Amino acid sequence: MPWDVLIFYLIAAVCVLSAAGVVVARNPVHSAIFLVLCFVNIAATFVMMGAEFLAVVQVIVYTGAILVLVLFVLMLVNPDDLPEFHAARPVQRYVGLLLGAILLLEVGAAIVTRSVSGEQGTATPDNIAAVGGNTQALGRVLYSDYLLAFEVVSLVLLVGVVGAIVLALPERLGERPSVARRGSISLSHPRGVDAALPEGRPAGETLIPTRHSTSPTRASGAVATGNDREVSAGPTPTGVVRDLVMTRDADAFGHMGDKR
Amino acid sequence: MGELGVDHFLFLSAALFIIGMMGVLTRRNLLIIFMCVELMTNAVNLSLVAFGWGLNSLDGQAFAVFIVAVAAAEAAVGLAIIMALSRRQRTVDVDALRSLRD
Repeated sequence: MPWDVLIFYLIAAVCVLSAAGVVVARNPVHSAIFLVLCFVNIAATFVMMGAEFLAVVQVIVYTGAILVLVLFVLMLVNPDDLPEFHAARPVQRYVGLLLGAILLLEVGAAIVTRSVSGEQGTATPDNIAAVGGNTQALGRVLYSDYLLAFEVVSLVLLVGVVGAIVLALPERLGERPSVARRGSISLSHPRGVDAALPEGRPAGETLIPTRHSTSPTRASGAVATGNDREVSAGPTPTGVVRDLVMTRDADAFGHMGDKR
Repeated sequence: MGELGVDHFLFLSAALFIIGMMGVLTRRNLLIIFMCVELMTNAVNLSLVAFGWGLNSLDGQAFAVFIVAVAAAEAAVGLAIIMALSRRQRTVDVDALRSLRD
C-alpha cells in the first residue's frame, strides 16, 4: 500500500473519531476541542489534495475564528441554561442512528457505483505550477470567473456583521452593561477625561459642566457613557471643551459640538 | 486500496456529514447542534475539493472559499441568536424553545 493512502487512512481515522467525539461528548467545551481536532485534520486532507490555500483558510477561519467564537459564547451562556446530557431523547437517538446508517449506505452505494467521471478541467498540476502555485491559480479563478460572487460575499459578510451586532444588543438600549464599563475611561466624563485634557492639567479639575448646569435636554450622543454622571451638553458655554475635543478626534466627539 | 483516489475523500466526507447529521438529530444543546452544522458544512467542502481534485478543476476550491465565507457570517449571526436566546429565554435547550409552536 502506498504511503499516501496510509497517511490518508490515519488522518481519516482521527477525523471520524474526533467528529464522533463532538457528538457524544458531555461537556460542550470538549465538543469544541474535538471539533478543532477534526477541522485541522480536514485541513490536512486539503493539503493532500493540493489545496494549500484552502487548508490555511480552513485553519484560520474555522479553528481560529469560528471555534473561538463558539467558546466565547459557551462562556457567556449561563451554565445553568445548558441542557443535561443524560436527559437526551432516546427515540430521537435511535431514529438518528437509523437514518444515519441508511444515508451512509445510500451515499456509499452512490460513490461505488458511479460511472460518470466528468470532463477533465485545465487545472492540471503542471498548469498550476506554471502560474506559481495553488494560491495564484485560485486567485486568478476567483478574480476572473467568480468576480461577481466574490463581491456579493463581501456584502454578505457586511450584513452578517450588522445582523450579529443588532441581535447581540441588549433589548433596551438604556440597560447598557454598566458594570463592565465602570472602570473604563470615559472621555465624556468630567473625571475620566485625562486623555482629553491638555498636558499639565490635573485630571480632577472639571472642565466639562456636570449636571448642576441647568439643562433640560440631555446630549443626543450621551448614551455612549451609560452612567448617571453624564455630561449634559445643554446651552452652557462649552467652547473650551469643544475646542479641546476637536483637536483630538473629531468623529468620536461630534455629538458634543452639535448643540451650540 | 491501491491508488489514492477521489472515492477515499468522498467516503470520508460522507462519514463526516452523517456524523454531523446524527449530532443535529440527537443532541439538545443548541451550541452543539451549531457545531454539528459546521461539521456538515466542512464535509461538503471536502467533497467539493475532492471532486475538483479528481477533475483537475479549481472551481471546487472556489466554491469552498465562498462556503467558508458564508459559514463565517452564519456563525456570527447564529451565535448572536444563541446569546439572545440565552439572555431572553434562560435556556439553550431546543426542546424547551417551543414558543413558536405553542
